[in-house]
Amino acid sequence: MAGKIVSIHSFRGGTGKSNVTANLAAQVAMTGMRVGVVDTDIQSPGIHVLFGLDEQKMGKTLNDYLHGKAAIREVGFSVGENTGEGEGRAQLAGRNIFLFPSSIRGAEISQILQEGIDFNRLNEGLQTAVAEFDLDYLFIDTHPGLNEETLLSIATSDVLLIILRPDNQDLQGTAVTVDVARSLDVPNLFLLVNKALPKYNNFEVIKSDIGAKFDAAVTSVLPLSFDMAENASNDLFSLRFPDHEWSKALKSIVPFILNAK
Amino acid sequence: MSGDVLQKIRETNFFKELSPDASAAVAAKAAMRKFAPGEFMMRKGDPADSCFVILEGHLKVVTNDAKGDEIIINKVGPGESIGELALVDERPRSAGVIALEDVEALELTKDAFFELLDQRVDVSLGVMRGFSHRLRFSTTYIEKVIDWSQKTAEGDYSFLEQTQPIKNTAGSDDDKAAQLLSAFYSMVRKVKAREEDLKQTVERLSFEIDQERRKREFEEITGTEFYNKLKQQAKELRQKRMGQS
Repeated sequence: MAGKIVSIHSFRGGTGKSNVTANLAAQVAMTGMRVGVVDTDIQSPGIHVLFGLDEQKMGKTLNDYLHGKAAIREVGFSVGENTGEGEGRAQLAGRNIFLFPSSIRGAEISQILQEGIDFNRLNEGLQTAVAEFDLDYLFIDTHPGLNEETLLSIATSDVLLIILRPDNQDLQGTAVTVDVARSLDVPNLFLLVNKALPKYNNFEVIKSDIGAKFDAAVTSVLPLSFDMAENASNDLFSLRFPDHEWSKALKSIVPFILNAK
Repeated sequence: MSGDVLQKIRETNFFKELSPDASAAVAAKAAMRKFAPGEFMMRKGDPADSCFVILEGHLKVVTNDAKGDEIIINKVGPGESIGELALVDERPRSAGVIALEDVEALELTKDAFFELLDQRVDVSLGVMRGFSHRLRFSTTYIEKVIDWSQKTAEGDYSFLEQTQPIKNTAGSDDDKAAQLLSAFYSMVRKVKAREEDLKQTVERLSFEIDQERRKREFEEITGTEFYNKLKQQAKELRQKRMGQS
């Protein structure tokens, strides 16, 4: 079976996309799968922090690959062999999980924004990453909105997980994204509601109503959590606090990914 | 004094702990009184020199609002006592009591009551037991209200399902604790209902998708040459990968 490309997307920023991507990839890796995580949010990379990677530790990046200065093999950072500090992350020791980070150097970011991304090369890189690292799943943390690089990620995905908050603006944007994904024939389209207010939102109602509205499976409804906001910036929350409500809800997404056709 | 009268005495919260013999002693010291409809049993501010056990008919307990208009604060009937607390604490009448129909009641004057307490230990004990029973009862209810208040503040309404609302039998003082609990219970039920309404409003609000805008934005994105090329490429890519697997 060829590895699957799983794009995690949200129409607007601030939905907790990077956190969901990192935690979900980690949970899938914990099941024994070989997992890759690509940060294609080249304008504002962030997911590396959750995997304990800083500027000093960061070697070759996706930017180097896109500029022909490195092979994709050199970009992949083995999280399982370098878990670093972080109680949650430590559990990934020995697991097969590889991060393909974007450069966090200002000059390199502005360079790529000026020159634009060579889509064919990015696409080739993703396919090569899957093949060379023998990945079962390659998670793509996309840039919010529907710009060209995001459309490319969606177009090449086997699974698209769209994150939204239970509010009007997110729903409106998600509606367009769902339409676009359908038009691009993405085989598996899933929704995930994040930052729901436990006091005012009935999670089961949200799940069934949003699912019915878009005719798509809502994988889970994650609560807005201050514990999460306080503790999530530099570790993998769902590994560190496995019994937390947020973590449990996140883990319930895993079967959707593993069972996707 | 008939058994029926003794029965009524022992129905009151004040004398409920009395033995039949002690009740008979109370009845023997009391005088039968009749009140016509509209007649005052007691007036607000009067010195409290007796208490009553109602045998027949109903009365209203009234006070006056700021404008001087009468407000009914309670209704009392057979088997209830009235004015007994004032016998002990010697405060003037806190409210007026007026017969709503023909009323028969036993009146026990303060002097007769104290004589009885002096002569009969069993009556004294019975009255004390009544007071302590009442205090214990009220404390239990207050503790419940405190517990429920805390739960309500935290948004935990589970006690509404776990507890039966107390039947609001307006009347004696003992029931006032029950009335408080009942009022509290109904307040929380209403708060919960309002919260659920709000919740539904929030949910309903979040379901307003502007379909025109949705269509327009979709067309803007998919109407470009880039998009058509991308769609074609994606299709080819998938076919290629399908072939590989």
